[in-house]
Amino acid sequence: MNPKRFFIAFIVTFVFIFLFGFLWYGKFMQDIHNEVPMLWRTEADFGSHFPWLILGHVVMAFFLTLLYARFVPAGGAAAGIVLGILVACLYIGNNLVTFAVQPLTTKILGGWIVGNLLEFGIAGAIVGALYKPSTAV
Amino acid sequence: MRRFSLAFLAAFVFIFLWGWLYNGVLLKDVYTQSLWRPQNETISLFHWIIIGQAILVLAFVMIYASGFAGGGVAAGIRLGIMLEILAIGARMMMYAVQPLPAKLIVYWSVGGLIEMIVTGAIVGAIYKPTTSAAI
Repeated sequence: MNPKRFFIAFIVTFVFIFLFGFLWYGKFMQDIHNEVPMLWRTEADFGSHFPWLILGHVVMAFFLTLLYARFVPAGGAAAGIVLGILVACLYIGNNLVTFAVQPLTTKILGGWIVGNLLEFGIAGAIVGALYKPSTAV
Repeated sequence: MRRFSLAFLAAFVFIFLWGWLYNGVLLKDVYTQSLWRPQNETISLFHWIIIGQAILVLAFVMIYASGFAGGGVAAGIRLGIMLEILAIGARMMMYAVQPLPAKLIVYWSVGGLIEMIVTGAIVGAIYKPTTSAAI
């Protein structure tokens, strides 16, 4: 483990997934989400739960970086993309289950699937490009 | 490939049964809000649950086979814990945007942790790489 590189990769990944989430899910998909308003918190309620959103992103960025460091620490961006896409598939599987039990629209489901693939594919590339093990494996 | 298929099938059967037992039976009374589809609608979309769980298990086994294989049950459990904590991060975000009761997030996370630990143990016990070197 290379703590300095790990920390840099974690911070950059956190900033990326937070900005991506804001743009993709919060802006680009806003109207699509609003087709089923009963599924979402009101603006004020969301504001009071905002720390959970930040904490969730921190946890995800940290453990994606940790997973990469354990998975293929010297694999570079390409290995990071592969890991990111596999992690996205975990979330996509979960999205499909959620679709069966919650009244999500197919547009929401499609947007989440594409969002997951882009988000984790790019986040994996970032981690892979930035993280280097302290000694060659 | 045979070991991969066996690990996938065993983990899928476990996740399917665990999901039914935990969410469908134990937590049945917690799903009472208007956030959920009526039961008959969920039944008509049941194939998405099966496809979703199959994709999830396939991704789990592929991650294990690509970077953790050779470590056995312990490596599988470690992977399961890491992937579940990633999922807990996603649940925190879900909690921020959806009016879900906090206790449901806790129940999902406890159930998810058990599910992924057992899944990791199953995959780690069954899957063996063809050569001893992991990627």
